[in-house]
Amino acid sequence: MARAQRGDQHAYEEIVDRYSQLAFRTAYLVTGSAADAEDAAQEGFVKAWAALPGFRTGSPPRPWLMRIVANEARNRRRSAGRREHLQLRLAEGFRTADAAPSPEAEAVAAEERQSLLRALNGLREDDRLVIGCRYFMELSGEETAAVLGCPEGTVKSRLSRALDRLKERLEVARA
Amino acid sequence: MPELEAVLSGLGAELYFPPTPDLRQAVRRRLAPAPRPWWQSRWALAAAAALLLAAAAVLAIPQARDTVAGWLGLRGVTIQRQPGPLPTPTPRPPGPLGERLQLGDRVTLAEARATVRWRLRLPFQLDEPDEVYYSNRPAGGGVYLVYGSRPGIPVASETGVAVLVGEFQGRADQNLFLKGVGPGTTVEQVTVNGLPGIWVSGAPHQFFYTDPDGRVQMETLRLATNTLLWTSQDGVLYRIEASVTKQQALAIAESMR
Repeated sequence: MARAQRGDQHAYEEIVDRYSQLAFRTAYLVTGSAADAEDAAQEGFVKAWAALPGFRTGSPPRPWLMRIVANEARNRRRSAGRREHLQLRLAEGFRTADAAPSPEAEAVAAEERQSLLRALNGLREDDRLVIGCRYFMELSGEETAAVLGCPEGTVKSRLSRALDRLKERLEVARA
Repeated sequence: MPELEAVLSGLGAELYFPPTPDLRQAVRRRLAPAPRPWWQSRWALAAAAALLLAAAAVLAIPQARDTVAGWLGLRGVTIQRQPGPLPTPTPRPPGPLGERLQLGDRVTLAEARATVRWRLRLPFQLDEPDEVYYSNRPAGGGVYLVYGSRPGIPVASETGVAVLVGEFQGRADQNLFLKGVGPGTTVEQVTVNGLPGIWVSGAPHQFFYTDPDGRVQMETLRLATNTLLWTSQDGVLYRIEASVTKQQALAIAESMR
């Protein structure tokens, strides 16, 4: 990061490489569209390069980068007239990591995951995003706040409200 | 960790995400510095330094900057008197025509047409250009048509080029084209295909423009010869540089299709 700040473009490319997936997937969670996410991540990295002189030396680059990328992603989501609604789904060919004791148990586990996904997909965008940031992307509180565009202090309460609403949906589905 | 949160944490690895694109390549392309302009090459360094000083002096006078464009009604072009004589371009080293001028990337006419967002126009009077170049500067791109030798048109001794035609997308508020004019240079208002234009003849002159970030860039001192400038109705800035008379230049311009 220090080398990048001194104008070393190659060093900055290493940073782009390292955070590409994180930036792209987070932008995807925000925009719900792969094309918008690519756009936002690319634009974010280009803007971050221009903003490097203002980066506080020694502080972690991740939250700073996430803030810039997420800002681009939110702008795209806002400006897209018809918002693509992100539908979470399992990766193709996915098998549960834990060796299921029996085919029946595997089927039950798979069904549980599907109902969890359905409940998640039924949540409000904001709720799903805060859950996505914290659990799927494993972002810190600071990084999640950057993505949501809210103060760090409100992440915890937002997350717990989102989890409550998710639980409600799961219970309704089970009933 | 409560059960639900544990399940959610595990779910992250199982979710589908679109494949991550190669952002490094994309970002590199956008960060890549523009090709080294010819005036930065060693042989022209002294001249360039003098030019930059002259440019700085001129640009310090704000009200002078916007005068001529106003009375010409020419979008994105400003002409300005320089306080002193300008350095004469030094002879250029040998090499292929357009490459010596560092006009950008050599392309075919078809490639240039496919790259730019406006309809390229070619002066039919000169037949097909000998070389075509595409430059990613100014913003929006620029295309240069190079004509090596044409009947009745002297070839510039420094470059071996007879006519140089430049086409740019002239966005008036973003890319201000500024023409530095020294004593011994005549500036004249002309009409090109019914549109206002300017004819600059005499001593060498340069172009400056302000890029989208507000930085003043020295664009060209290509042939250091007479120049005809005009903007089409669809917002394309055209420039014809050649050692020709005003009538010859206008005839070339009017043959543009």
